[in-house]
Amino acid sequence: MPTRIPRVTKTEAIVLRHRRLGDADRIVTLLTPARGKIDVVAKGALRSRSRMAGHLEPLTRTEVVLAHGRSMDIVTQAQTVDAFTALHRDLDRLSTGMYLLEATDRLTFEEADLHTVYDLLHAALVRLARGDGLQLVARTFELRLLDATGFRPEWSQCLSCNAAVAADDAAWSPTSGGVLCATCRSSRGGAVPIDSKVLRVLRAFQALPYEEAARIRLEPELSGHVEHVMHELMQALSEREMKSAHFVATARRAATRVAELPDDDDDAAATRW
Amino acid sequence: MNAFDGPGAESPITRLVEAFHRLPGIGPKSAQRLAYYILRAPDAEAIALAEALIEVKRSVVLCARCQDLTTQSPCRICSDGARDRVTICVVEEPLDVRAIERTGGFHGLYHVLHGVISPADGIGPEDLKIQELLARIRDIDTGVTEVIVATNPNLEGEATAMYLGRLLQPLGIRVTRLARGLPAGADLEYADDVTLGRALEFRQEVG
Repeated sequence: MPTRIPRVTKTEAIVLRHRRLGDADRIVTLLTPARGKIDVVAKGALRSRSRMAGHLEPLTRTEVVLAHGRSMDIVTQAQTVDAFTALHRDLDRLSTGMYLLEATDRLTFEEADLHTVYDLLHAALVRLARGDGLQLVARTFELRLLDATGFRPEWSQCLSCNAAVAADDAAWSPTSGGVLCATCRSSRGGAVPIDSKVLRVLRAFQALPYEEAARIRLEPELSGHVEHVMHELMQALSEREMKSAHFVATARRAATRVAELPDDDDDAAATRW
Repeated sequence: MNAFDGPGAESPITRLVEAFHRLPGIGPKSAQRLAYYILRAPDAEAIALAEALIEVKRSVVLCARCQDLTTQSPCRICSDGARDRVTICVVEEPLDVRAIERTGGFHGLYHVLHGVISPADGIGPEDLKIQELLARIRDIDTGVTEVIVATNPNLEGEATAMYLGRLLQPLGIRVTRLARGLPAGADLEYADDVTLGRALEFRQEVG
């Protein structure tokens, strides 16, 4: 006898994103522990008096009741479990949170088993909201997300010949997802040298439990280089520009950028009042 | 020859159906219904619609100051000498200007961003009219002292508001955000944590 799909299911979820559906509804992308990544319909979510809209905002951990629909399930109830409110008071934390959501969305597929990914994202958002280091949270999350989704980068052995790669003589390839030894690097297009300190940090972040990785103190410059390498890797694997990674950096630079803005030129003045 | 059976997309009805289908929120059935309505409508009604479409594309431009949609630049609001010129209300879309104007409670100027920072949709700060806002504020003649950020109270709206705050506060501008709380007629039981938290934080004395 075929298994009957229950008419109504209840699940916990983290809201990854939403998009408009008609005048009043939304399609909401949820990451759930049991059903992986799913699109559901939130009817009336665009109305100002919607009882669900606030509980289905991205960066919210919520409990939803879903009615089985023909093509997509329909949200009948939603209740926030954790809104990670601290993220909404700090632009750097908020933009990093947005990046974690986009990274998760890009590297996962619908209906796959994403129980581990759910736990990783939940833990990362909790750490982000309680004030842990932004770089620590983002880098350790990226490395563990890649591991859980089958994209684990190789930082120690040559991707081509499996030989151990010395940190001070390594090249890496974002598209190949790891390091290459001195002999093999010329055979792979796109391989570029990688700073030995950056490589040591990446190896440590990948190997150590979170609490031990948290003891590593990084100078801002080195931290920036590590971030750059990871953003390049994530972008290469997701095969698209990751706007949220760009926004993390833009937001950080925002205050200083105003001071650096050139004075209005003649063209701008011409269109100005 | 059946009007649908012309050589492919060259059939006038098929072209009309496809034109409607390209509009947001219009599916194939709705597109067919609209096309049939136009076919059955009096000539004057169909011609008025066609002329309105042509006119709106030919005559509507962006206001050079506030970036709102207008038929003359500067727009009516920017040209109005009676408006408070030191306060700018920043909104996401032109329709938001109409919504705030309907309240009758704001007498300053506007700036339309034409979107909101939404990395998930591939929209970053560089895709919005933020440089135009900075240029307005940096112009000493405008004397702007306060910017009210009236983006929507959602994740993207919050990120945009905080980003603008970070850009504008170093310029000595007071940056404020629309209050966030419970909508009229709402039910407290169903309010989300962020909204209820903000409503408590920014509570007001009664009477």
